[in-house]
Parts: sequence; C-alpha cells; structure tokens
Amino acid sequence: MDFFEEYKGYPNYEKAAIHDEAHGKPVRKKLWMVFWIMLGITIVELIIGSQFNFTELNKEYTFIFLTLVKAFFIVWVFMHLGDERRAMKYAIIMPYTLFIFYLAFMVITEGVYSKVMRDALFTMVLH
Amino acid sequence: MSNQATLSLRKDWDGGVSPFGVSYGKLFMWFFLVSDALTFSSLLCAYGFMRHKFAGDWAKPNDVFTHFPFIHKDLPLAYVGFMTFDLIMSSVTMVLAVEAGHRLNRKQVAVWLFLTIIGGFIFVGSQCWEWYHFITGEESHQVFRDYWMNGKHIIDPHFQGANLIVNAYTQLPTFGDFFFCITGFHGFHVFSGVIINIVMLIMVLNGVMDRRGHYEMIEKAGLYWHFVDLVWVFVFTFFYLL
Repeated sequence: MDFFEEYKGYPNYEKAAIHDEAHGKPVRKKLWMVFWIMLGITIVELIIGSQFNFTELNKEYTFIFLTLVKAFFIVWVFMHLGDERRAMKYAIIMPYTLFIFYLAFMVITEGVYSKVMRDALFTMVLH
Repeated sequence: MSNQATLSLRKDWDGGVSPFGVSYGKLFMWFFLVSDALTFSSLLCAYGFMRHKFAGDWAKPNDVFTHFPFIHKDLPLAYVGFMTFDLIMSSVTMVLAVEAGHRLNRKQVAVWLFLTIIGGFIFVGSQCWEWYHFITGEESHQVFRDYWMNGKHIIDPHFQGANLIVNAYTQLPTFGDFFFCITGFHGFHVFSGVIINIVMLIMVLNGVMDRRGHYEMIEKAGLYWHFVDLVWVFVFTFFYLL
C-alpha cells in the first residue's frame, strides 16, 4: 500500500481524494442531481409560502422538514461529509445536533411560557 | 479513493491509523465551522424565543419583503427566492471547482471559482438592495409611531421603513433588530467568503496549488462557502417563510 509508505508512517490525506477523469463523471452527475433536488425543494417552499392556505402549524412543520432535507444534502454531498470516515462524521454531527436540538427545545418552550405569562400579566393590569 | 475505502473497513478507533482520516487543516476547518454554526444557531434560537413570546404581534414576512427590482408590483418572496437560487447555484459551482481540483485541472478550477465569486457578489449586492428597501420603506405604508431616539421624544404620524429603535412593520423593535443582526452577520460571512474565494483564485492562477501537488485548499474554502449556503437555508426559512 503506497498510501502508507509515501510519507513514512504519515499518510498523505491531502491527496486521498484525487481521482481521474473517468471517476469524476459520475461524481459530477450526482452533484447536478442534488442541485436540481434542492432547487425543486426551494420552489416548493416558495409556492407554499406565497400561495397555499395551510393551517399555520402544518406550514411550519413542512418548512422545517424541507429545510432539514436541504441542510442534509448540503452537508452530506456538497461538503463531502458523507465521504468521510465514520469517526469523523460522528465527531462533527453528534455534539452539534445534540446541543442545538436541546437548546432549541428549551428556548422555544421558554418562549411559549413567556407569552402565557405576558398575556396573563397584561390581562391583570388592564382589568 | 480506493485507499480510503480500504481504510474504512477497519474500525476507526482500533489504533494504528488516524481515526478521522483527514488532514489537520480540513479537520480544524470543520471544527471552526461547528463553532460558527453554534453561534448562528444561538442567534436563531434567540429569534425563535422572541417570535414565540410575541406570537401574534410579529410582522408577516409576506407583507414586508414584497419588492423586486424594476417591477413595481407586490411580489412576496420573489426576490429572496432569487437570492436563494443564486446562493445554491454558487454552491454548485464551488463544489464543481473542488471536483475539478480533485482531477488537478487548473483551468476548470479557475473557471468554476470565478463563477462562484460572481454568484457571491450578486448575493451581497442583493442583500444591500434588500436592506435599502427595508430601511427606507415606502410611502404607501406609512404608520403612526411614538418613540424615543437620541434622548428626544419623537411623534411621527408618517413613519416608514425601519431602524434599530422603531420600524413600520410591527410595534416591536426586536423585529428590525433581529433582521439586521442575523442577516447582517450572514452577509458579513458571505462577503468574507467572497474574499477567501478571490484569494484562492489568485493562488490557483499563480500555480501555487500545482506546486503543492494537490488542491485541498480549494476544498477548505469550499467548506466555508457551503457553510454560508447552509446558514442561508435556515435564515431563509425562519425569516422569510415562517
């Protein structure tokens, strides 16, 4: 394995992704396909946002779901995280996801509670 | 590629091989992006808090962002839609530049990078235009506002547009504050991304990458650029759609 011997014990990771013309063709095809998918999702979002009258909650969940799909495509395909090793994937994704989902849950729960308290207090002042 | 496939067959943490299997520059670019993503997420979470606390009083984005250049009609979301398309497009050209770099094709890398820079400039310009129309407002949407500014009490029956203290779209100044803070922070990222891409283009044209024997620097700049796109996907949803 010349991969290990090139730098005597230190593999040259900078050159690991270099490939030839034949290998590049399907890669480019995949990238363009992801582009069309993301463009389609954005157009769907715009149509939902400006045209249809869903109930508010349905609309919110649809948008957040579609956003997460787009984010997945960007991180996994465009940023090539899907091609990295498993340890690398977990080291990047897990701490961030765990922390942010927890933070978003806490903060939004608190926001809803703040509205309840605000409405209750204003009602007390006004009456 | 084949070497990486061979590597991934082993268990990552068995020892003897690097568990991450990337160069230190790329690894720390990722760590920087995670910390930057945490900053943006905290800002967006704070925005979510305010939005839920003042639910009902918040401005409806369909009524605020209705302008489109050269067309004097109300077109909700059309211009942000164009901005999103532009940023996704420039993301694709960037990833194609990275792919051309993997084939050590200097000319193609330069072309795709140049297109990415053009897309970045279009986005920054669009954001300037968007801010201009958000700040100046329009005469048909004048409202009565009573506020304190620079220690003076101002009663303005014909207020239009927005600033950090008061805006014509809602009674809440936080609406304008969050818009300026988060889109401004994101626009600053786009701008620095464009600068990084210009530096990369100059390096490519001077043949620095060819002398190194690999185009990994393009990949790192690409990671940053895709991150900017990633943040915009969330800003787009939470500011303009919801």
